[in-house]
Amino acid sequence: MSAEREFQIVPIVQEAVVHNSRTLLNLQSLTASLFGVGAGILGLESYSGFLFYVVCSLLTAMLFYVVRVAPTSLASDANGGGGAFDTSRYFRSQVEFWTGGLMNGLAGFILTWTLFYGLVRA
Amino acid sequence: MAQVPVQTIHRDPQLFYWILLPITAVMILTGVLRHYATVLMASAPKRLDQKTTREQRALLHGINVRGNFHTLAKPSFDVRRDALTTAYESGAYLKSPENRGQAPPNPLSDPSSMEGMMGMMKNQMAMIIPNTLIMSWINAFFSGYVIMKLPFPLTIKFKSMLQAGVATKDMDPRWMSSISWYFLCIFGLQSVFNFLLGSDNAASQMAQQMGGMAPNAGQMFGPGVDPDKQFLAEAENLAVIEHYSVLDGVEQRLLEGIKV
Repeated sequence: MSAEREFQIVPIVQEAVVHNSRTLLNLQSLTASLFGVGAGILGLESYSGFLFYVVCSLLTAMLFYVVRVAPTSLASDANGGGGAFDTSRYFRSQVEFWTGGLMNGLAGFILTWTLFYGLVRA
Repeated sequence: MAQVPVQTIHRDPQLFYWILLPITAVMILTGVLRHYATVLMASAPKRLDQKTTREQRALLHGINVRGNFHTLAKPSFDVRRDALTTAYESGAYLKSPENRGQAPPNPLSDPSSMEGMMGMMKNQMAMIIPNTLIMSWINAFFSGYVIMKLPFPLTIKFKSMLQAGVATKDMDPRWMSSISWYFLCIFGLQSVFNFLLGSDNAASQMAQQMGGMAPNAGQMFGPGVDPDKQFLAEAENLAVIEHYSVLDGVEQRLLEGIKV
């Protein structure tokens, strides 16, 4: 059966997709700002600050997966045999889920990082 | 290479209260104001007369039939296709059938098209005016102060951007002046607006620019488009569809899904 017919038999609701990715985006931008606060208070500089950000946002994605996605995704038959770490039940692209937070939150992170670094340290 | 000693600059703590805080507060408030100004200025969609609505809906009907043909049974799809194709080709749904075949009117002379352009102009203005005002306000009041140190090193190229108005040659480019805090705010406050106003707010300039690029939904019926040509194209699109239904072979799929 072709992929197009597969989509017609099991259609994807566009509103739900938009809602899911918007929830993800809100979480990412909010947590990125909070990580900036953390990095600023810790007084991290240059590479260690960016490393802190990367580790924290990957950790957020991991937690989001474990808490919200995994329970229903692993239990359902429609998982498509993706196994663990497969988010295709709720999100179109895996890359967006796991690493999208890095790009979306970067500006907010730098802003609050600079602000709190300036207030606490410099 | 010798280690460059870390520069320290003793700054008055009052700089925080009189520069950093005002700029940040003004940036946030401007974003909120821009959001509500856009909401208030959004003009309600214009009422269309019956003929125009019929023309647009008829075209949408064709597009929807073409997009969802797989949910229709073969006979009902054939009936719809025949009816729509006949009506499209005879021009039954046209707003003004007597104008068939003539060139569409110049979009610039059509008063209804000015509406859309005015809307775009308003959005652009709501973006440009506050930015210009705030930038000149910061330049007038706060230029020449070094207020903060970036937590990451930058190359010397950034010096002219970050330290505009502070003409000190040997200063580390990490020190930044008030105008660069403004730029940081422009890019970084998106998440704050997301939090304050909900995620589909009009405060962010990035989203506005993205929205400007995306094709408008109203573009399809825009002025300067000949509806007759659209109808004929749609009739052709309908004619080439090779019909099948999602219910074809559904018994087989059902039986496969049943596990004993």
